[in-house]
Amino acid sequence: MNSDQTLPGDTARGLALDAALDAALDAALTRVLPPPELPPQFRTQLAAAIAREAALELTLRSARPRLEREQREQLAELHADYMRLRRRTLGTLIGGAFAAGAAVAVSLPWLKATFGPDAMLVLAGLGAVAGLAIGTASWVRRLGVPRLLQRL
Amino acid sequence: MQSAVAGAASDDSDVVELLRAHGRERAFALLLPRYERKVFRLCCALLRDPTQAQDAAQESLVRIWKALPSYDGRASLSSWIYTIARNRCLTAIERRRAHAALSDSEFDMTSQAAEVALEPEFGSDSEQRAAQLRELIDLLPERARRTLVLFYFEQRSISDVAQQLACPEGTVKTHLFRARAALAALLKQRGLDDPSLWLEVSP
Repeated sequence: MNSDQTLPGDTARGLALDAALDAALDAALTRVLPPPELPPQFRTQLAAAIAREAALELTLRSARPRLEREQREQLAELHADYMRLRRRTLGTLIGGAFAAGAAVAVSLPWLKATFGPDAMLVLAGLGAVAGLAIGTASWVRRLGVPRLLQRL
Repeated sequence: MQSAVAGAASDDSDVVELLRAHGRERAFALLLPRYERKVFRLCCALLRDPTQAQDAAQESLVRIWKALPSYDGRASLSSWIYTIARNRCLTAIERRRAHAALSDSEFDMTSQAAEVALEPEFGSDSEQRAAQLRELIDLLPERARRTLVLFYFEQRSISDVAQQLACPEGTVKTHLFRARAALAALLKQRGLDDPSLWLEVSP
């Protein structure tokens, strides 16, 4: 046994070994557990595995700029779609407001002639009904009511 | 040659310098002869099966090659390498366990066959003793077994075993003592505690 193997405090723990048996066992273990040798083809197989990994790494590295470019393009396209949607929504709102203004301008004389002093109330009421109808139609579509009705 | 390799392994500053100056390939070429055997022995001690140990050692070294550029020097190179190898072995053990759970009957048959194979029917007395000793080593608690096996694989170097298993040297000594005490107890149980029986053992 070398100095590395001294085990201070072992006897104190009541686990003292029979010295002769321990020495014989140590010698037997040394012979029974020799350091395993590397298989002869180990280096060759390792070199092949590393070559495969290197090739894969190279492929990934060369593909990276293309993948990054594609991702940038997709992001730009998404951003453009979003901007288009916002512009369309804004256009619809402005168009709707102009159309409503024009309708009021055209129909106001007739409403005044027909309803007298209540013409403005009637106009506001019509506006509210139209707004509620548009809102309800939008929510009915969004909640999938037509599909639900179709299933029934 | 061996001592030169061991000496170099204790200080890997040249590998780290080479890694910074010239990149991965040259650093790995310097590192490989120092660690391939140690990694293989560690895998053998942890996995018990030489074929699996070879695969695990190879995969560990490929991972080390891949990760070498990201080695930041916070831990010593040897600790870093052994951690990768140990983790790889633990994954292999987990996989083996999962596979065994999937095919329990098959596993039982294999282990029974292994037990039968351990019964020494032929060969000299000395060979029979060696087979018996190997069988008894396999009966030891896992930590004690792997410490004992690695201790003899590493030519009785406590510091190498401690580094490879990432535990203090005192713990290694404790496990070694317990392993040998348990082996002695097993020998006594079987009436094989005559020292003269073990002096002539050959593998």
